[in-house]
This record gives sequence, structure tokens and C-alpha cells, in this order.
Amino acid sequence: MLVAGVGMTSFVGFRNDASVRDMVADAARAALLDAGLRTPSPVDMGVAAYESDHFNRQMSLGQVLSDTVGLTGKPVMRVEGGGATGALAIRTALMAIRSGEARSVLVFGGETNGRSVDRATAIEILSLSADFEWETPVFGAFAAPYALMITEHMRRYGTTEGQFAEIAVKNRRMALDNPLAHRGMSITVEDVRSSAPLSDPYRLFDASLLSDGAAAALLATEDWAEEHSPTFAERPPVAVLGSGSATDRPRLSDRTDEMFPHFAAKRRAAAHAYREAGIDNPPDQIDVAEVYDSFSGAELQAYEDLGLCPVGQGGQAALEGRFDREGQVVVNPSGGLMGRGSAVGATGIAQAVEVVSQLRGEVAPARQVPGARIGMTDTHAGVGSLSVVNVFGRVG
Amino acid sequence: MRITGTERDADPDGRPVYLLGVEIAQRYRHAVGSSSPFYEGLEQGVLRATRCTGCGASWFPPRRFCEEHLTETDWYDLPGTGTVTAATRVHSPPPFGGIDPPYILASIRLDGVRGGITHRVIGTETPQHGAAVTVKFIDEAPAHPLLAFAFAIEGATP
Ligand SMILES: [Zn+2]
Repeated sequence: MLVAGVGMTSFVGFRNDASVRDMVADAARAALLDAGLRTPSPVDMGVAAYESDHFNRQMSLGQVLSDTVGLTGKPVMRVEGGGATGALAIRTALMAIRSGEARSVLVFGGETNGRSVDRATAIEILSLSADFEWETPVFGAFAAPYALMITEHMRRYGTTEGQFAEIAVKNRRMALDNPLAHRGMSITVEDVRSSAPLSDPYRLFDASLLSDGAAAALLATEDWAEEHSPTFAERPPVAVLGSGSATDRPRLSDRTDEMFPHFAAKRRAAAHAYREAGIDNPPDQIDVAEVYDSFSGAELQAYEDLGLCPVGQGGQAALEGRFDREGQVVVNPSGGLMGRGSAVGATGIAQAVEVVSQLRGEVAPARQVPGARIGMTDTHAGVGSLSVVNVFGRVG
Repeated sequence: MRITGTERDADPDGRPVYLLGVEIAQRYRHAVGSSSPFYEGLEQGVLRATRCTGCGASWFPPRRFCEEHLTETDWYDLPGTGTVTAATRVHSPPPFGGIDPPYILASIRLDGVRGGITHRVIGTETPQHGAAVTVKFIDEAPAHPLLAFAFAIEGATP
């Protein structure tokens, strides 16, 4: 299963010059051109990724986007999985190809999470991501459930604010080398710790960005790529080596005491994806990872739950720079959700764009992970109610 | 829905672009459905949960059927006490209002049921893991029915 082409727009705070359709059109066209196609007609199927009708102001957007990218007549399905939407769309394309239903699938996702929606409206819409009946009435900030999880992680393992602030600094610094990033910044741990409080211990710079943006990927069988993709033979092919998905109790307080500070769904999804990809020692075998840093501490927890370091050592690993530029696994070279930004439906696909480009050796030298051969993406919905892990590898 | 205005702006290259101001107001009658006995309990000053009539497994928030046995559940009253797993001070108000920030939010394991609730703790002190709390009915006309109650830390000065 190959990734024959990838494309994305820049992620920005607000596109006054483009609708979500325009952005998806640009990303999809870039992915098709990247595969060397001169027309979308050989593509068998479309998968549209977007989270929210509220943010995009369009129901049945899947068909509108399918038409926009030139796939009218072909089947299309819309996929939604909260923050994991984009990655779930890639996984859906994989399943369609594995089933034999399609030989090539164009995955396209976008969202206008940026300032087309005023702050009060955005907060109102985002509050619907929690359980509307039991959590929304008491959740003053979406940081709150994340704050509860990391508070217990701090108590149990001695994790500190300074340790997760290092991640907030790292990802914004990484984004400085990504021309498509929403907002790279050079800040210090002190800047993070003195930014506005959201929900203790989290502060403004511990949180990620809301962006406008789109991304696309063309997945295909090898024989389809040989037949239709002129660029297939010209560069090192990148394949999807494995994919996993799992769920957890959506409401944080329904989870067991033991797993309260952990992402159980992430562990299950990663185990499944690693098994398919033949990975038994993740930190040694994985070169580059795009990890869901919705909050700085969530990345720290993900190091552990993705098996990149032992449980309870995420804080120490962050402090040592084990997942920084020169680290054992380079995590979020794109800048992650904090630096590159997040346009929800596009986010998991944009992560794949970064990983595939890294594996091909095609990103700017400042950002390139030298000799990267295996990469992965990690996203989740809510506070880990759904997780999707996709593993990519250079095959040749 | 209405258009509040049409705006002419310039894109990054200086070309004219147009933006529409759009206002969409939405109103709903949200049925709480099978949670209705819980809402009725709130009027009587009690928290309620459900349990399986077969195996006795219990759930808060309430479930319609036992996820192990597909048996319909029935309702019972909880003692209203619990233990804090983690707590945080939140610096902005909840979406329906009713609480002035900053306020304390905690994940609370409830006694007498498998499960817990994320809810408000009264006062300004952030309780530690393991702190004992008790439900208090504090508001007869809350901004949201769930804000009729909150939890008090045991031993704290009221
Ligand atoms: Zn039962």
C-alpha cells in the first residue's frame, strides 16, 4: 500500500482569500500533481475528512469537496473521528484498498477552525466535543480534562510543569523551520509558565493552535502506481506499514484509577499498528513521529503510551531532549499542533504529509531527519476517546 | 440566519476578496431521555445511578442497559459521597455560565457505584488526590440543572 502523492496548504489563523473548498482543492491538486497525475480520472474513490458542520457551515460537505477535487461520479465517504479525523480517513482509505474495493483512494480533509468563527462561538462549538449531557455544563475550558489527567500524572510520577513546558518550547521552535506552519516561535520555559492560566497547571502556551488549512494524500496499490503515477519510479517509495485504532471511555471520570493519567486507546491503537508494521522496539525502529500535542503534557503522556519511553519517564525524556531535533526519535518536526497548527479534519493528513516527505528526504535541510526510514502519526479525539496510529515506511 | 454584512478585503497579494458576515442562531429542545430519573432526583436533593438487575454491576452516569448482559438497568439512590482522583482550578466560565471563574473542578469517584463524575468543588481550595467530598445542593435556580449541586471537601470550613 503506497502513498503515491501528498499535498497540503499552509496552516494559518485565518484565510480571508479561501473557503474550505478552495483549501481542499489546493491540497488535493497538489497531492495529485505530486503523484504525477495529469487528471484525477484514474482515482477510484474519495474519502473526505472534516470534523464539524458547525465550523464549516456546510452539511453534506463530503460530496461538495469530492466535486471540488474532480471526483464526481466516484464513490466518496465522509469520515469523522474528532481530533483523529484526518488519520481515520487515511485508515479508511487503507481499509478500502485492502478490501479490494479500490486500487487508489484520494483522502482530502480541511477545516476552518481559525478566526472565521469569533472566539465566543469557537468556545461554544468546542465545548460540544465534551459529553454534552454530563461534562459540557461544568467544563469552563477544554484544557480542564487534560489538566485533570496531567495532575494525576504529576502526582504519580513526579512529572513537573517545567518538563511539559519544554515540549511547548520545542514544538514552536521546530515550526520556525516549517514554511507551512501557522506560528513558529522562539520562547522559553519561563514564557510558557508565565502565560495566561487556562486550567491549572496548563497555561496558554501549553495549548495548541486553531487553524485554517487542508491536506490530502493519494493512497494506491503498487500496480496502480506503476500504471498511473509517473513519479512512482522516480523517488523512494513510501508505504503504509501499519494502522491501528481503538476507543476508550469518552468521559474521563468513567475511566479506571489505574489508567486515569494514561491514554488507553493510544496504547491499543499503537500495539495494533506496530504489530502490522513489524515494530517491536518503537524508540529504536521509529525515526520520526508526528504526535498529537493538543496540550504539551498530552505529548509527554503520548511518549509513554506510544511506547517511545517507559511509563512514568515521559517528563524526564522531555527534559533530556530525547525527542528533540537530535534525539532518539524526532517528534513533531513540523511543529505539531502547537506550531504548525491544527485544522482538525486536515491535521492527521498533514502529519502524514510531513512523515512521508521526511521519509522521501524532501523537506528543507533544517527540518530533515537524516536517513529517516520509518515514521508514524498519532492523533486522538476528545481526551483520548478514539485513537488512530498510522505507521509509514520507506520501502526501497 | 441572516447576513450581517458584506466586506471587501484584500488577499496577501492585494487582490480584492469578499467576505460575508453570517449569523446562525440555533434553538433546541434537548430530551435527556433515559437520564430523566436522575433529573427527578435532583429536584429531590439526591444523586441517582443505575445497576444491572442481573449481575448488580452499577454505573454513573446512568446506562440504559448492562453492557455485559444486555439486561435493562434499574435506578437507586447514591449516598452522595466520593473521593477525588484529581482536581484543577479552571480560569474561564462554563458554556452555560452559572459559575464565576476561577473555580475548582474535580474528577470524583462516587461511593456506591462503579464510575465517577467530573464536577465542581465548592470553595477556592484545590483538593488533593484522595480527598473525601460530599454532595451539597446549593442552587434552586441554576444556570444548568447539573449546577444545582456541587461537592464540598470534608473537613473544610464552609
Ligand atoms: Zn449485568
